[in-house]
Amino acid sequence: MLRRELRFLTALWKANLQAAMEYRAAFVAQVVGMMLNNAVYFAIWVVFFDRFGQVRGWQLGDMVLLFAVTATGFGLAAVGFGNVLAMADVIAGGGLDYYLTLPRPVLVHVLASRSRYGGLGDVCYGVLTFALLADAGPSAFARFALGSVLSMVVFVAFMVLVQSLAFWMGSASQLSAQSVNALLTFALYPISLFDGTAKFLLFTILPAAFVGSVPAALVRDFTWPAFAQLAGAAFALLALALVVFHRGLRRYESGSAVRVQV
Amino acid sequence: MAAIRVRDLRKTFAAKRKAAGLRGSLAALWRPEHDTVQAVDGIGFEMEPGELLGFIGPNGAGKSTTIKILTGILYPTAGDVDVLGFVPWQARRDLAFHIGTVFGQRPQLWYHLPAVDTFQLFGKIYELDDAVVRRRIDALADAFDIRHLLLTPVRKLSLGQRMRCEVAASLLHQPRLLLLDEPSIGLDVVAKQRIRDTIRHLNAAEGVGVLLTSHDAGDIESLCKRVIIVNHGRIVYDDKVSTLKRQFLTSKRVEVRYAESMPAGFTVEGTEILKVGKGGYGVKLAFDTRRTPVEAVVARLAAAGTLVDMTIEDPTLEEVIRAIYETARPHAGAGDGEASAAVATAGAVGEPPGAAP
Amino acid sequence: MTPAAPVPPAPGTGGALAWRSPAARSAAKYRAIFATQLAQTAAYPADVAARSLSIVVFMWVFIHLWRATYEAAGQSQVAGLTLAQTLWYLVLAETIVLSKPRPAAAIAEAVKDGSIAYQLNKPYSFLLYHFSVGLGDSLVRMVGNLVAGGALVWWVAGPPPDPRGWPLVLVAMTLAWAIDFGMVALIGLLGFVTEEVAAFEWIYSKVLFLFGGLLIPLDFFPDGLRTVAERLPFAYTLYGPARLFVTPDVDRFAHLVTGQLLWLALVGGLAAAAYRAGVRRLTINGG
Repeated sequence: MLRRELRFLTALWKANLQAAMEYRAAFVAQVVGMMLNNAVYFAIWVVFFDRFGQVRGWQLGDMVLLFAVTATGFGLAAVGFGNVLAMADVIAGGGLDYYLTLPRPVLVHVLASRSRYGGLGDVCYGVLTFALLADAGPSAFARFALGSVLSMVVFVAFMVLVQSLAFWMGSASQLSAQSVNALLTFALYPISLFDGTAKFLLFTILPAAFVGSVPAALVRDFTWPAFAQLAGAAFALLALALVVFHRGLRRYESGSAVRVQV
Repeated sequence: MAAIRVRDLRKTFAAKRKAAGLRGSLAALWRPEHDTVQAVDGIGFEMEPGELLGFIGPNGAGKSTTIKILTGILYPTAGDVDVLGFVPWQARRDLAFHIGTVFGQRPQLWYHLPAVDTFQLFGKIYELDDAVVRRRIDALADAFDIRHLLLTPVRKLSLGQRMRCEVAASLLHQPRLLLLDEPSIGLDVVAKQRIRDTIRHLNAAEGVGVLLTSHDAGDIESLCKRVIIVNHGRIVYDDKVSTLKRQFLTSKRVEVRYAESMPAGFTVEGTEILKVGKGGYGVKLAFDTRRTPVEAVVARLAAAGTLVDMTIEDPTLEEVIRAIYETARPHAGAGDGEASAAVATAGAVGEPPGAAP
Repeated sequence: MTPAAPVPPAPGTGGALAWRSPAARSAAKYRAIFATQLAQTAAYPADVAARSLSIVVFMWVFIHLWRATYEAAGQSQVAGLTLAQTLWYLVLAETIVLSKPRPAAAIAEAVKDGSIAYQLNKPYSFLLYHFSVGLGDSLVRMVGNLVAGGALVWWVAGPPPDPRGWPLVLVAMTLAWAIDFGMVALIGLLGFVTEEVAAFEWIYSKVLFLFGGLLIPLDFFPDGLRTVAERLPFAYTLYGPARLFVTPDVDRFAHLVTGQLLWLALVGGLAAAAYRAGVRRLTINGG
């Protein structure tokens, strides 16, 4: 059962790659461009820590790790489940019709039907900086892979949740764009900056902590309780996202509803 | 056993209502108002396996909504549906293995890839063996005459070529039922005819049932034996195409231009003159094929002067529907069954929305 | 209420337009385009408000970051800036970035999909048209961003800097947008020669963030890097106007605007040349 779906997913990813290969130059430009983009962005933190040394116990090395894990997690989502960034528009525009007429799980099919190869640049950036700067052995790489995948799961689940609101709101692309923005922004800052309500929000409503700081901490020091917390959060969020999406599917209008201007 | 059985199907949409302008936007933000739109309003019919059934109606009549419910895309508001033994919205995936769908306005082929790549992906989606997929592609390539197109990226195909590939893709897994929603939209006459020929051929060769929606009566005329006409979410007609033709596609409209001016009071026997243009060169007239055969009218028009140009038009779908409503009145209550009734189930006949005086 | 009687047009107004110089008529044209877009964006206050959420998120993060940083540094001033000044600086820098004219992306799109060919035969300058549209949109969004971001910072760090500097900042900000528009248009026009320009846009925006001082004022940079950064166009796009906002003074303004005009002449000239070259290619190749 699961193996059949995996085979299907592989076929889908292959088709995505084939489509990208129709535009090879663009593919390379996106991958390399995204790596440079991240590197320049990170340079801002180099300047910051050059001046201030550390802030709330965080140093440049912690930021390297945070950026590496978050970029890899986000990159994996963008490459493997690229439609997670555009699903609200797919829903509102009646784009689910195609997936609904085919005998495969709708959500996975929608999400994986598009690969954003900028994300591959994110993954390359993450893996490279981790390898070069974080002084890592094989077991560290295993922790890194685990942390990044869990970061991806949280990101995908949260975005599915937000984008599914399109079933109720009609259009949720603004909200979704803002949510991606907010999630990534918060994920890329030291969690120690926030306390009280702010911290609580980042572990719940806007689970940026589980995209950035928590996986990064797990990569640094693996402990079973920390792993259980992150994995638990990731799968709880995923379960919630699945429920909401399938609830929403019952209300799907397939672009058939007429908007009446009075 | 019927391939499709639909009973009292209903679907309502909530449509947001907003007054024009800034104030309207603000008001809608504060307290959104909704109108309910009855897209499907009590439709019922049956379709036999292997049948070629046409489903026509003007835009917004509810035909696409019905087809989307039949495929499991939409949940109905009420009613019973059985497609090949499945309830579509409950067993969407199981049903999907047995049906093929083409939505004319929603391409399923990957735009940047050659069609054959999508075919192969579909093979995985439908869990077919690679060898089976290869054989099937081969057979479809011949049937649809698309062998030379399969390796070209879809974006470089013409609309007609693309649509042939679309229909072929939907048949890859040898479905028992093919649902086509506006397959000929935007195509020119030749491309339309090719699609129709192929569909007819496959229906005969593989026994695949075809349910076809269109707002072009021509599609139905050349493909289907039976036709259902919907309007405002209800069935207004469900019978043989030949009956429809005999009863309602009888009035023709002709426009002619002469090289010389026709005299005032110009008439042609067996026709009704609608208009004589300025100077008497152009004439519009109408006639009923039951009373006056086409060849007689053409002969009489040609005899009257030197013809420069001539067009003959069928009545539009809207005119046909109006005609159906008009003739339906005396028959009201006489509807005696599903497919054989001259006019469909009673509910649809009584009060056509908007047509009552 | 009595309905107003229709007013007959004043004699001579019809002809007045024809008597104006071509330059004046052309300026009126772009002003009208600008005003139309301004009205259109302003017609969707909910949309503008929703877009202003971003700046609230960013400023909220910055408040936490810089409060902690100033605490850790144990000084009330870092490189001559207080915490409040740093935060107001960041509000303005973010406002410039978040409200900057968007049609630059539309230009890239038009080049890429070839629809630019249909815009060539219109009686206006392609670049000026898009900038006028963008500016109309930008001003409305700027108000939304300043109000949203400013309210948060005011609440946390106290009142904004001297209001007498605001008109100067508005001028500097408009010029900053013009420079940025030129840069992004230039990148979009690269579409005539390469098929992928998105990557260049990402990198440009990050370089702008870094050397424009979007997240860290250039004052906090190491000396060598700061000297270089201050001379680049990015500093004239973000750092200059934002710094002017915090400590307004006429000399700073004069220096800033001079530099902005020089960069604008260069970038704008390049963009115009690239546009002409691109169009020539297009008309020769038939799009």
